[in-house]
Amino acid sequence: MKSQNNGFKIGSIVLFLGLTIYYLFPTIQWQLEQRHMENMVPSERVQYQEENAAKLQQLREESLSLGLDLQGGMYVTLEVGTPQLLQELAGEYADEELDEIIQTARDRAFEQRTDFIDEFVAEFESRNPDGLLSRYYRSDADNITRRSSNEEITNYLRQQRDEAVDRAMEIIRSRVDRYGVTEPSILQQGNNRIVVELPGVDDQERVRDLLRGTARLEFRLLPEPEEINAVKQQIADYFSNQMEQEQADTLQSDTLGQADDETTNLLEVFDLRGTNQHSFGYSAGRDTSTVNRLIQQEEVQSFIPRNMELMWGATPFAEDNGTELYELIAVRNQIELTGDVISEARVAFDPTTNAAEVSMSMNAEGARRWARITGANIGRPVAIVLDGYVYSYPTVQNKINNGRSSISGLGGVEEAEDLVNILLSGALPAPLDIIEERTVGASLGEDSIQAGLYSTLFGLVVVALFMIVYYRAGGGIADLALILNIIFILGILAAFNATLTLPGIAGIVLTIGMAVDANVLIFDRIREEMRGGKTLRAAIDNGYANAMSAIVDANVTTFFVAIILYSFGVGPIKGFAVTLMAGIVSSLFSAIVITRVVVDYLTRDKTADVNFG
Amino acid sequence: MRWFETPSFDFIKATKVAYFLSGSLIIISIFAIFTMGLTYGIDFRGGQEFVFDFENAVDVVEIRSELSEPLGTTPEVKLFGSESEILLRVDTEEDITQTRELIMSEFSSLYPDNPVTVQKTDLVGPRFAEDLRVGALYSIIFALAVVFIYIFIRFKGWYFSAGAIAALAHDVLIVLGIFTIMAKFAPFDVSIDQTIIAAFLTIVGYSLNDTVVVFDRIRENSLVYKTMDFKDMINKSLNDTLSRTVITSVTTLFVVTVLFIFGGEVLKGFAFALVIGVILGTYSSLFVASALVVELQKRAMQAKS
Repeated sequence: MKSQNNGFKIGSIVLFLGLTIYYLFPTIQWQLEQRHMENMVPSERVQYQEENAAKLQQLREESLSLGLDLQGGMYVTLEVGTPQLLQELAGEYADEELDEIIQTARDRAFEQRTDFIDEFVAEFESRNPDGLLSRYYRSDADNITRRSSNEEITNYLRQQRDEAVDRAMEIIRSRVDRYGVTEPSILQQGNNRIVVELPGVDDQERVRDLLRGTARLEFRLLPEPEEINAVKQQIADYFSNQMEQEQADTLQSDTLGQADDETTNLLEVFDLRGTNQHSFGYSAGRDTSTVNRLIQQEEVQSFIPRNMELMWGATPFAEDNGTELYELIAVRNQIELTGDVISEARVAFDPTTNAAEVSMSMNAEGARRWARITGANIGRPVAIVLDGYVYSYPTVQNKINNGRSSISGLGGVEEAEDLVNILLSGALPAPLDIIEERTVGASLGEDSIQAGLYSTLFGLVVVALFMIVYYRAGGGIADLALILNIIFILGILAAFNATLTLPGIAGIVLTIGMAVDANVLIFDRIREEMRGGKTLRAAIDNGYANAMSAIVDANVTTFFVAIILYSFGVGPIKGFAVTLMAGIVSSLFSAIVITRVVVDYLTRDKTADVNFG
Repeated sequence: MRWFETPSFDFIKATKVAYFLSGSLIIISIFAIFTMGLTYGIDFRGGQEFVFDFENAVDVVEIRSELSEPLGTTPEVKLFGSESEILLRVDTEEDITQTRELIMSEFSSLYPDNPVTVQKTDLVGPRFAEDLRVGALYSIIFALAVVFIYIFIRFKGWYFSAGAIAALAHDVLIVLGIFTIMAKFAPFDVSIDQTIIAAFLTIVGYSLNDTVVVFDRIRENSLVYKTMDFKDMINKSLNDTLSRTVITSVTTLFVVTVLFIFGGEVLKGFAFALVIGVILGTYSSLFVASALVVELQKRAMQAKS
């Protein structure tokens, strides 16, 4: 009976060990490959990587992956802008009341952490007790008509939001794939958030543009130079008046002058002269947000006619003593043509300057309209606007019949490639806000790996020595279990495709301390039973049996806590929870099953003696 | 080697001292939390956080005062591990790239001969921070609730649950208090963020581990020694398991201390919470949880009769 039982235990140990090795094998191989490649000269390495691309890719995917905190990289949480989506869905039916409802609902959803759509509907209904949401929303495709009930429309809005999130994830995936990140992770969180993890990436600005770029491409005309000049003059007068008045105030009393400190800044940070007749002026890159704030003032806005809008150039047009200068450009409000007519985009180079640009082709309908627009505006500039920034405003030379256009004024080939990527992936259904962003440099990650590794090893040695000193042979057996335990944890993590994070390593370190607990319970119990006068065999049997309920209770409760950590935590905390769970399972197995088999083996003769200290 | 082979400490008698000690620590903690306020990290407060690595040592105070004006707000600047690494936290609505570039250009004019690299940048929006804070609070409350239910089912007595929960709340509250007070002068980052919450929950798990082992022995002994006085039986159970309690605490304390010393700067606060947590957890399962069980049982009996 006993030997049969042990046969089962030994079988399960072999199976567990076999599985662990099976799952850890790719990781070991991957490490060996990496070491192998490090020793090659660069040209050889490139060739080797090309020849073994498929195999290397597979190894990388199957091996235990390191979290961003260990290998460096970027972690971004994006939120789909539901308020903007509802605004857009309303389209031509939108009115001022809708703006107010959306604003109120957004504030309330933020304050009370409730769902925005719920708040939106509640706000609408409290304003219009008998009103129908169909005032704002219709959709032939979804059977939403004038007579649809508010409930139907609420469901429709929810569905639209979910679709927007799905579509945004698809677009982000395709953009990230084209960007060429290995092992990116794109996950949905809650009902309107998307978490993107990009290992090894640290060019934050590029990634941010890539993720958030809505790819809203517009072609717009520019106002006449005289019109621009008149507005410029009014704004300049307004600010110089302000400045004079303030100086007068300051002369009268020193305290009054401070309040208006900000207003005087515009003429200092913003040069109204501009570089050419279409431009409004320019400022240094770091001052653009100040300029935005000053121009948003109501008085200043009143000088700007309804059909005119001010937009920044996407790239600096000149450099002055190391500061990059950006141009503010006046464009018409009316959008002549949008990016949805673009059928193809690719990187091209300007034949004369050799600068990178993006050349685009339009579909038949777009080409027809483009021919009409260019035909009617020969000699005038057309602004190419992407996501609210003017990339270029070339002057139309002649009527363009073949639907070709191009975006120049780009920062370089990389930017051109990103832009093609964004244009081809399609436009985002709603704007995305970055609500969380974390970047870890690769060197900090390396330091963390080393610190984690050293503390794990050191902790292991200290605990192992202590166990041998305190429990003698028993301690040695527990140490064997402890080492297998760590290997099992790594195996479990690899098997579940989990990611090893820094808190995860902390979890392993903690498990080392707690893993011996089950053995301590057992060994102490064995000592106790022997004190009670039992033989070694009986004491061992009773020791294991009696310690069991305490071991189970203690570990089940800790496991519960780990589950809670897993379900509430995000990112690294999840990693910690996973290691903790893996640690509990494997330490239970090694402390109860493995040590038992070894103890039984050593005491198989009646005369044999195992010392428990 | 054998420690505490057949100890006979009167833990229940030590209750009065323990109540006084725990009571004062809790009062100090609550007082500190209410007067000084919890020091939230970027996770729970939102904002932007950077880790910069200089080639040579820098002056934290100088950086703080030099950056205040260009940033438009006083940043929080702390050493991060070494004299040449700093952690900088700032509340600003500027774009994070702009903030970083602004800081970098200030650094290059402030320390022209001391090149700097960016190690880490974090941005957490205010809404997101709020969500994380609420999530963390829920997870702690939820953990305590689950523990209460599990112990209630396993040990069939609400006073065991209550004793365990009180001990856990005791541990978490005092660690919070220590963190609040330490925030003013600790040489490492002790602000409360997600990893600290993970540490708290681990403390909950650990302390519970200890408590449950003792309770388990109480359950066993209550079947063996049916006539023994409840108080004496708890004392006996505590003494029976004392060796194990101490050994496990010692090994765990070893490794978390190693983690605290060698685990790197990122884990310092986390490991620190665990070190205090292990000490407190051991203390509370020996002197607080069981004493409360005796107290509550006594009252329950009185109420019945």
